Amino acid sequence: MNRNRNQSDRIVITGIGAISALGRDTGALWQRLMESADGITPFDRYPEKFPTDIAAQVPDSSLDDLPRRSSRRLSRSDRLAIVAAIEAVEMAGGAEALPLEGLVVCSGTSTGGLAEGEEYYLERRSGRPVAVSGVLQQPTSGPSDAVASWFGAGGGVFSNATACASAAAAIGVAADLIETGLANAAIAGGTDALCRLTYSGFNVLQAVDPRPCRPFDAERAGITLGEGAGFLVLERESDVIARGGRILAVLSGWGASCDAHHPTAPAEDGRGAEAAMRLALGEADLSADDIDYVNAHGTGTPLNDSAESLAIGRVTGGRPPVSSSKSFFGHTLGASGGIEAVVSVLAILNAAAPPTLRLSTVLDEGEGIDFVPGRSRQMPIDVVISNSFGFGGSNVSLVLERYEERSA
Amino acid sequence: MTQEIWITGAGGVLPGAIGREQISARLFEGSSMASPIERFDATRWRAHTAAVIRDFKAREFVPVAKLRRMNELSKMAVAATRMALDDRGWEPGHWPRTETGVALGTMFGPVRTSVEYMDAYLQHGPALAPPQLFAESVANAPGSHIAIEYGFEGFNLTCTQREISFTTALLQATLQLRRGAVRRAIVCGVDEMNEIVFEVLARAGSLAHDDGDGEAMRPFDRRANGFVVGEGALSLLVESEPGPAPLARVAGVGIARDSSATVHDWGTGSGSVARACRRALETAGVAVGDVSAVYASANGRPKVDQLEARAITELFDVAPPVVAPKAVFGEYAGASAVPLAAAALSIASQRLMPSAGFEVPCSDLSFEPVTEARDVDLRHVLVITTSAGGGVVAVVLSRP
Repeated sequence: MNRNRNQSDRIVITGIGAISALGRDTGALWQRLMESADGITPFDRYPEKFPTDIAAQVPDSSLDDLPRRSSRRLSRSDRLAIVAAIEAVEMAGGAEALPLEGLVVCSGTSTGGLAEGEEYYLERRSGRPVAVSGVLQQPTSGPSDAVASWFGAGGGVFSNATACASAAAAIGVAADLIETGLANAAIAGGTDALCRLTYSGFNVLQAVDPRPCRPFDAERAGITLGEGAGFLVLERESDVIARGGRILAVLSGWGASCDAHHPTAPAEDGRGAEAAMRLALGEADLSADDIDYVNAHGTGTPLNDSAESLAIGRVTGGRPPVSSSKSFFGHTLGASGGIEAVVSVLAILNAAAPPTLRLSTVLDEGEGIDFVPGRSRQMPIDVVISNSFGFGGSNVSLVLERYEERSA
Repeated sequence: MTQEIWITGAGGVLPGAIGREQISARLFEGSSMASPIERFDATRWRAHTAAVIRDFKAREFVPVAKLRRMNELSKMAVAATRMALDDRGWEPGHWPRTETGVALGTMFGPVRTSVEYMDAYLQHGPALAPPQLFAESVANAPGSHIAIEYGFEGFNLTCTQREISFTTALLQATLQLRRGAVRRAIVCGVDEMNEIVFEVLARAGSLAHDDGDGEAMRPFDRRANGFVVGEGALSLLVESEPGPAPLARVAGVGIARDSSATVHDWGTGSGSVARACRRALETAGVAVGDVSAVYASANGRPKVDQLEARAITELFDVAPPVVAPKAVFGEYAGASAVPLAAAALSIASQRLMPSAGFEVPCSDLSFEPVTEARDVDLRHVLVITTSAGGGVVAVVLSRP
């Protein structure tokens, strides 16, 4: 199959933005990653008692500076998305630098306004009067609509809700829309806020580690839930050069696959993860030898980390350094692919691979893989592959590259 | 779009219609499947009707042992997909597993499952809610079940863009086909009518109600005052090869957003709708004057229908026949897949459908929607889909 991306006019990244438990911008995110300082704290948002009691939460104060008038009806996921998108757009030169009529917003989320939907339902169930405006944002299109409305984007809106692969898929689709000429630029990424249903749900699945998560460790026991948002601004290389903009990196390929195996568990052999990585590399016209760093999905669950390790081992031979950023800011579900794409760009720009925290004994399936435990590693990074895998065995991999001007 | 993409199979579970033949028959009849709501008490609202599924037996399509792991959305989606595959003549193992992808569209997703989970959460506590319900509370669960049931290991992605969820899923599938990532894909739209969804829409003033002319969904009609909620699943098989009997060819797609739209509502500018349509025609290589018919998104909300009517007026010096088919199965049936599927079925039979619910044109309508089925030469059909939040996807379907 011919899946090589059009290399004559590359899809480039001109802005990045992220909000997470590590802070409300990419500066704070990178600083904490380099300091090996996670953002996991006691989870006290709800009065109920859950089987576990930690999470990687964004402080409410991080969202306070959005104008109340324009954000008061938005869900927490929407507001997280807007904060991250504002940073990304400002880095790209501001909304005035972007082609608003051809600007598409592609956002991934797994919960959207579910936290607000829960409040509506609890109030309704108790018999107390409750305004319907609080739940109109529940559809998972809310974040795309909110970001598009914030910037006045006229190119289209596209929401993806493919569980934990949502944001990565949204980024890939955005690149395709630009490449096919259906859009001229995109704000693409993902967002998710913590809510009762997901906090309880992963606990009843026994997928949450009561201690901070330990991706790829032999003693790993599950995820730590988190929240946040991560967005990129994508444009055509020629358009950015024409407007004199700054290019941060290249999105050179993406691949999507499905395990077709189980509603929540990955295929144990990692075949779907492997397929997504190979598709992404094929589209980027790169080989495994070109990969300098793997930003893994690395959730900390026994099944994901073993399957992903097998896949990474088969695709790369174990040579490139591998780490999981979720050990810092938790599993942000539908947002994870967006925040981790931002981390991947920062790794390229700063020539450093962030580490995996609390990784002391590598899992058996990861034998031979060069994991980065504890402390970041300074190294030149030209090519990163970023993995995002979701419920239902939906897998998405992104390939990001250092930008180098071509000689005429 | 440089690569040709074909719609090669159709199936669905819709109100009063199971499978392609019944869906087609209902659409050509042009009668609404709406009826008084019995599923819950709707007497406290001004709206009292919905188009719901009553005669669907999932076990006729899915092994009983597997049904226990599926919510209603997943059951309908898997069954609709089976019918679309059967329509194409598919057999298990027929195609390599990695060559088929799944693009799912849903507006509301598993709202009812989430409510059931929260009920259990409140009753038993956060530690004792049923894990099975949580697994089905993610929007992409139906797409995952489709892949598991039929062994499709290509991409599996779920789109949730309000009333354009189905057409954004179709767009996603065409992008993957175009890039050669897969050779075929199931595009499935699914939604269900439940008490919470109905309540929110009723309170927001979106639903049709009786103002003296009866409660009905009346697109482009002077008496229109809202839409009727529908439900169900509709699946299309799209391929990079035409197969033995394609329904239609996906010739072009255009997207836009009305930047005057608020997060909750449609905007006021018809320009974005016209822009998406022009882009779809351009990518299809079809001149405006060569459009044989328009299949519209109109759903009986006056503001929404007027916006679309203005766009059609802007586009055409003389509008081709315009069909508004949503009222047969209600809004959200198949995640609002009906205009697109109806257009494909019309092309396949070279016959226009009536605009269900339309009788009296609204005051500034510059065209007369089709009111009776009739045979015509359908070469290129422009399908318009619009959503709250300002999203627009226009698709050009052409005769194979």
